[in-house]
Amino acid sequence: MQNRILNWVLIFAVLIALMLLVNFASGGVLRGVMWAVFVAIAAVIIFIIYFATSANKAWEVGTRQVVYMALGAALYGVFSLVFNAVPMPSVSQVALRPAVVIPIFFGYIFGPVVGFFTGAAGNILGDFLSGWGVYPAWDMGNGLMGFVPGLILLFADKKRSLNTLLIVTIVLLAIFAGLVFANPKVVGPWTGEIEDFSFWAWGAIIAGVLVIAGRFLLERFRLETAAAEVWGALGAIIGIGFASIADIWINGYSLMTAVIGEFMPAAVPNMLNMVILLPILLTAYFAVARRAGR
Amino acid sequence: MLVTWKYRERNTIIQKLDPRARIIFMLCMLFSIIQFWDLRLMLLFLAVALGQFILARLTFRETQRAWMLMGGFIAFLTLLAFVTGRGGTGVYTEEHVLFYLPSFTLPLLGRQINFPVTAERIMFGLSQMARMLSISGLAIIIPYTVDPRLYGVAFRGLGLPDKFAYASDLAFRFVPTLGRDFGITLDAQKARGYELERLEGGIVSQIRKLAPLIVPVTISAIVGGEEIADAMDLRAFGVAPRTWLHQLTYQRRDRILIAISVGIFLLSTALSILGWGKFWVPGWLLQMARA
Repeated sequence: MQNRILNWVLIFAVLIALMLLVNFASGGVLRGVMWAVFVAIAAVIIFIIYFATSANKAWEVGTRQVVYMALGAALYGVFSLVFNAVPMPSVSQVALRPAVVIPIFFGYIFGPVVGFFTGAAGNILGDFLSGWGVYPAWDMGNGLMGFVPGLILLFADKKRSLNTLLIVTIVLLAIFAGLVFANPKVVGPWTGEIEDFSFWAWGAIIAGVLVIAGRFLLERFRLETAAAEVWGALGAIIGIGFASIADIWINGYSLMTAVIGEFMPAAVPNMLNMVILLPILLTAYFAVARRAGR
Repeated sequence: MLVTWKYRERNTIIQKLDPRARIIFMLCMLFSIIQFWDLRLMLLFLAVALGQFILARLTFRETQRAWMLMGGFIAFLTLLAFVTGRGGTGVYTEEHVLFYLPSFTLPLLGRQINFPVTAERIMFGLSQMARMLSISGLAIIIPYTVDPRLYGVAFRGLGLPDKFAYASDLAFRFVPTLGRDFGITLDAQKARGYELERLEGGIVSQIRKLAPLIVPVTISAIVGGEEIADAMDLRAFGVAPRTWLHQLTYQRRDRILIAISVGIFLLSTALSILGWGKFWVPGWLLQMARA
């Protein structure tokens, strides 16, 4: 128990050290203390979940976890560097980030600790290598994106409460889409003029439909793949939601700017990437695992 | 199979030093550098970084890929600072305009941009460039001059627990391996007619077409990871406090380097507290702006 707490403390120490190193190497882009406050909030969220379920094996950090933490972070960093440059049709600079499938996949297969480290450390590495600087709230958000799918290991029965989770995911998406539909026109981040962003609400609806379809269609072939779609979608919403909401305090955005300008452009493509690539990756993984007898 | 960074054994003073002492030196220099914005001080640190590079007997040809990567990144940030003043807020409060760049209109958005070039932006851009060059110059030689077998024991010697010392060692060593795997996969797919530069169709179709790159690299990395985990388990990793095949022992020269490093850091901190090394703009540049 004490060792596991020490593991978490060390993970956060390593991540903060990485953030500070990248910050220094980028010429000191971090301002104020709010970024530290949101790193602390992410830590509190994780520790609450951990203490509530600390007896579970999902929190173990053994040899495989050590290897996959390193591997996941390196993979996410390298893929982010390659794909951050692939543009997506939108008015703002949104990159098509297929790399988001990596923390979700690693979290789902290897557990919440591996998923969190993969997302957070990989995002720090990827942003640094792409020359984007350091964004601690987004690093934590990416960590949560890998952490949430890993929580499935806390459940012995993967089918249990899958429908409840799907409803929670769809309700959250509906709330965000509704917010955009109710107030679609905000000041564009690049033009400074009033623009209509309702297309993001439609994007969220498409993503929601794909998640529902994935959950029921994929279940016919393999329950684990269907469950991964739901947990992955929830991870993307919670992770990106955390980072976007944090920017209300960090960057002084209004709620609508955070939702329309940040949450939607990041969460919707992430979910689309996840919905399409995760089943392909899982199918390949399960085939290899079966062949290797694992 | 892990690919290592391009390490080659050389009989140099740099390679004779304990990796822990070198990491401490790098960290002390880094924490000293970040306390200043004065270009003249930055040039001193840059000279130290270059001195270390020369003492390591590395050639530009050997390290050109690393320099190109870092150079591109530094050039981008410097240009951004020079044109937009990004990052300068708080470092300087007043700006003296030298001239305006020719105005241009942003494609698609139709917004007209008119950038002023100020004395402060030029000096901030130069200081930032010297700052980042010094830091990367200090760090860039590490993978070329530290024996890859010593990363783990060096991280452990710096106080990290075994698991995290080994995870840091692996993460550091996985990056070139995955870079190689990605290159091989991309070449193999290109040979089959795949073109990353020409992803066509809707968003869903574009995402689906990325799978031939992401899936093989990820799965082969996981298979390789299983082999590494098995090898570690066979050696009873994590069962008891770990012993390391290669032992590091501080020599006299390592202690001297650590003492000098800590001394530089303390001196820098003292100077910074006393108000030295703040952002500096030469008088002649300000006069040019006023003229």
